[in-house]
Amino acid sequence: MINTLAQIDYLASAGRTPWHRASALSKLLLAAGLVLLAVFAPSLLLLAGLYAVAWALALTARLPWRLTLVASGYPVAFTLLFVLARWDGTADTPLRLLLRPLTASLVAVWLVGTTPYPDLFAPLSRLLPRSVGDGLFLTYRALFELMRRTSGLWRALRLRGGASGPVQRRLTLAGEGFATMVLYGFERSERLYATMRLRGHSGRICGCHHFAEGSRADLLVAAAGLIVTAGAVLLWRMP
Amino acid sequence: MSHLHIPDGVLPVLLWAPGLGLALLLLVLGARALRGASPQRLAYQSALGALVLAAMVVELPLGPLDFHLTLVGPVGVLLGAVSVFQVVFVANAILALVGHGGLTVVGLNALVLGAGAVLARSVYVAFAQRWGPTVALTVATAVTQIVSGALWLAVMAAAMHVQAVGPHRVKLVAGVAFPLYLAGIVIESAVAFGVARFVIRVRPDLLPGGATPVEKPK
Repeated sequence: MINTLAQIDYLASAGRTPWHRASALSKLLLAAGLVLLAVFAPSLLLLAGLYAVAWALALTARLPWRLTLVASGYPVAFTLLFVLARWDGTADTPLRLLLRPLTASLVAVWLVGTTPYPDLFAPLSRLLPRSVGDGLFLTYRALFELMRRTSGLWRALRLRGGASGPVQRRLTLAGEGFATMVLYGFERSERLYATMRLRGHSGRICGCHHFAEGSRADLLVAAAGLIVTAGAVLLWRMP
Repeated sequence: MSHLHIPDGVLPVLLWAPGLGLALLLLVLGARALRGASPQRLAYQSALGALVLAAMVVELPLGPLDFHLTLVGPVGVLLGAVSVFQVVFVANAILALVGHGGLTVVGLNALVLGAGAVLARSVYVAFAQRWGPTVALTVATAVTQIVSGALWLAVMAAAMHVQAVGPHRVKLVAGVAFPLYLAGIVIESAVAFGVARFVIRVRPDLLPGGATPVEKPK
């Protein structure tokens, strides 16, 4: 997952398509609309249409299809539990059950793959309590460093025999390894706090202010929104 | 088990909408309680949030299966109830944004994982005097997993009840989920034992009851 996340994060900043130039706010609104439609749509045809729209968004944003498929395919395993429980011998029920979460996760991947995280978190942090909003920024900033260190630690544990022997010993060693990460996290927080004070931290991480600045690319987002709305109205009552 | 993040569109709105509302309410109340907290504490909390996410990525090979940890038990003991719920919510929100778990069910996912995590410190404090910190942290993690896993199973059962799934199908799903639930309790507790053993040797002041620097108000 670390590679998937890192690649999506890179594409969000490096991409040069109109979707990347559109404001975070307009993309958030389109994504929210698509997710809610995917959750509530009663028609299988509409769900299939929404899934196609989500793929069109991802591919026109030049997100690699394999990466997109892997990143958006996570819900499949979980949804299979529900497919198992609600199997009625038809193809409709499993398709409905699979298309809803797959469309929603594909839309999320498109959103994150076209929007750098400060732009994405800035509007969200304004809706959330201050400590939670700031936590979003700081957690995401720490994430890649912690993941890289955890990955290195894991490799070192395997090379030094930490992945062999009785299960109890392996798990305890893994725990000791994670404990070094706890200590690293504490030391990192002290350094980060010192840096924040040096840079004049005023008590709130505001993020960028241009998440709502419109551009011509927002017209494309609006057009996509209109097409989706029209499609939803037409197909809502279809089987 | 409890961090098998529920995706969008599989649960009835009757379950996820109140879950989202309750999670947001708890976040607002928690933010009020943490109003005087220092930025260093927030940075520490966020680093542990990133560690929770990093732990979820690691695959523990156990026979034919790969197990993904959460570490919310030890993190709950280190941070306390209010902070760990924020950590769990933020971790779920970030995961939902990359397609791991749903955006509409972010509140419910946070409640499921957070319900156990918020108990961790209280359980630790209750047992630390009598059994020592290593056993107390292990027990606190076990309780965390028991509560979160049970809530996850309850959410699944409620969803299937609302969707009129027959009892034999529910039993079938439970037959798949219950062994994973038990394995999760054992594995997370064993890893927590290792975390506790190391932290007690190296930085015991980070645990509740120690003179932890992050607990001091600025």
